[in-house]
Amino acid sequence: MHFKLNNVIPAILADRPSVRISGIWGQAIEWKKGDFIKITAPSGTGKTTLVHLLYGLRKDYSGEVLYEGKNIQLIDSSELSNLRQLHWSIVFQDLRLFPNLTARENIELKRVLQNPIVRVEQIEEMASQLGILSILDQQAMHCSYGEQQRVSILRALMQPFDFIILDEPFSHLDNANKKIAAALIEAECKKRSAGLIITDLDKDEHFDYQVSLNL
Amino acid sequence: MLNHLLKKLIRNHSGIIRMITSRIGLGIAVFLLLTAIQIQSNYHFLLNSSNNKDSIADFLVINKILDNNNLSNTKLDQDLINEIAKQPFTESVGILTPSRFKASIQSISDRFPFYTDISFESVPSDFIDVKNDQFSWDPNAAYVPVIVPNMFLDIYNFQFSISQNLPQLTPAIVKMIVFKLTVYGKNGPISFNAKIVGLSDRISSMLVPVEFIRWGNNYAETKSNNEVSRLVLKTNDPSNAAIVSFLKKYNLSTNTEKLRYSKYRKVIDAVVAIAGLTGILMLVFALIIFTLFIQLTISNCKQEIILLITLGAAPKQLSKFLLRQFYPGNLLSIGSATLLLILLQYGLKIFLEKQLIFIPSAISWITLITVGALSFLLWIVTKKAIQKHINA
Repeated sequence: MHFKLNNVIPAILADRPSVRISGIWGQAIEWKKGDFIKITAPSGTGKTTLVHLLYGLRKDYSGEVLYEGKNIQLIDSSELSNLRQLHWSIVFQDLRLFPNLTARENIELKRVLQNPIVRVEQIEEMASQLGILSILDQQAMHCSYGEQQRVSILRALMQPFDFIILDEPFSHLDNANKKIAAALIEAECKKRSAGLIITDLDKDEHFDYQVSLNL
Repeated sequence: MLNHLLKKLIRNHSGIIRMITSRIGLGIAVFLLLTAIQIQSNYHFLLNSSNNKDSIADFLVINKILDNNNLSNTKLDQDLINEIAKQPFTESVGILTPSRFKASIQSISDRFPFYTDISFESVPSDFIDVKNDQFSWDPNAAYVPVIVPNMFLDIYNFQFSISQNLPQLTPAIVKMIVFKLTVYGKNGPISFNAKIVGLSDRISSMLVPVEFIRWGNNYAETKSNNEVSRLVLKTNDPSNAAIVSFLKKYNLSTNTEKLRYSKYRKVIDAVVAIAGLTGILMLVFALIIFTLFIQLTISNCKQEIILLITLGAAPKQLSKFLLRQFYPGNLLSIGSATLLLILLQYGLKIFLEKQLIFIPSAISWITLITVGALSFLLWIVTKKAIQKHINA
């Protein structure tokens, strides 16, 4: 299980000078399952673009993004769904929760989208660790951004995955909660022998990274 | 659980009343369409059923319309007979052979005196509605069997007997009376005993076995003349308007009373056509409205659907869910329409039974197949509409 990026340059960044000195854009890169990869970059250099492109949400780039040797641009919608249910998990920078569902329902939805691998009781255990147990039955739109961010992280841990892709996942968490969340994510990755790709503005030591790149 | 959550996300924003209205419309459309088919089916059952006392399968005696131009020229030529036999409404054609000899009958009883000159016709036995094994003749036979139109006995009983002060006769008594039948020919008159073996409503002619007609024609040494002037046409659908137009085209006539069904048929055809056409139009509108309804529902939930797909829901998974949301309601409309038709058919059967008209108590196979076809059509339309808008 591995991602391969061959000379990938997003169309919207193609003319920017930063692309020429990027450790990712225009490079040949391979990330294997089990690798913890940190991508650090200031704002506007394309972190979210990279995340969307790895997750198959954008196709406006040159070069190739391959997963298991398959060009992501060319796979059909049902195969993409299969990858998103069983191989890739994600925490979006903008969280993307269903505002009208409760926090619990947002989490549960991801759990039952495929054959569940997490028991219902585990949701409460993990929510308790993340400090969001009390807000599980609140509508997501009524939760604070920090709470929503933790709901979004918990949601991402409800499915099987080979890679979890995190787009500035701790941006609204305090240091204590960052550590707790990172520990939970790491534990779940180890359970699945999965890799982790995290983008952030600054360098950090939340995880034991094997690869660290500047965008 | 997934379905419960999807139901919360993909809610019907388009209104329950609109949904119910469109389904009622669909139900009415299906009902009209099925009714049209069932009426046709019942009608065909009546045409072909042997159970119906009032069977409308019938025998038409056909001859040329007699007018000043064709006096003494009423022959039906072989080409015309072949043409008649070829028509789709024709089941079979029988030639009526007339007697070409002089004959008379008279009573041999003083209590019941009468004498009259008479003529006969014969017709192949398939066309006779009186089943009598003895309806055959040879020169050594004890008597000549005769089939008399019911109408003749009615004329006797209700006119002649009263005016002549004679006793009235039941059909059973008539069949017991032996008459003297005299044929006049080359070697003088020859007399036979004759008995009425049956009374018929089908052919308004005195019928004797074809062997007797042949013998009599031969005995009378009439000029060999095999011209056909009348024939009997067996049709299983006297209501067929094509019969009327065919007869008109070839200047032929028959008992127009027997063609009265063609008028009913026109009315039934018109009713069926209107019901069917209205049903089809309503079905088309219902399908369009339903498709728009699906489009509207999906458009209203577009953001939720996009996010679901982003999170990994397969478009097929969502399509299946939406199909389960929309299709059972459609099926309910079709089911209700079918059930109503089943009840009406049963009610109609009971109603018509009292008038000795028998139709099946259940709806026909064709109607059921149409129900299946409509269910399939709706499934396809619903599925395609969902897929189209999910993938849009």
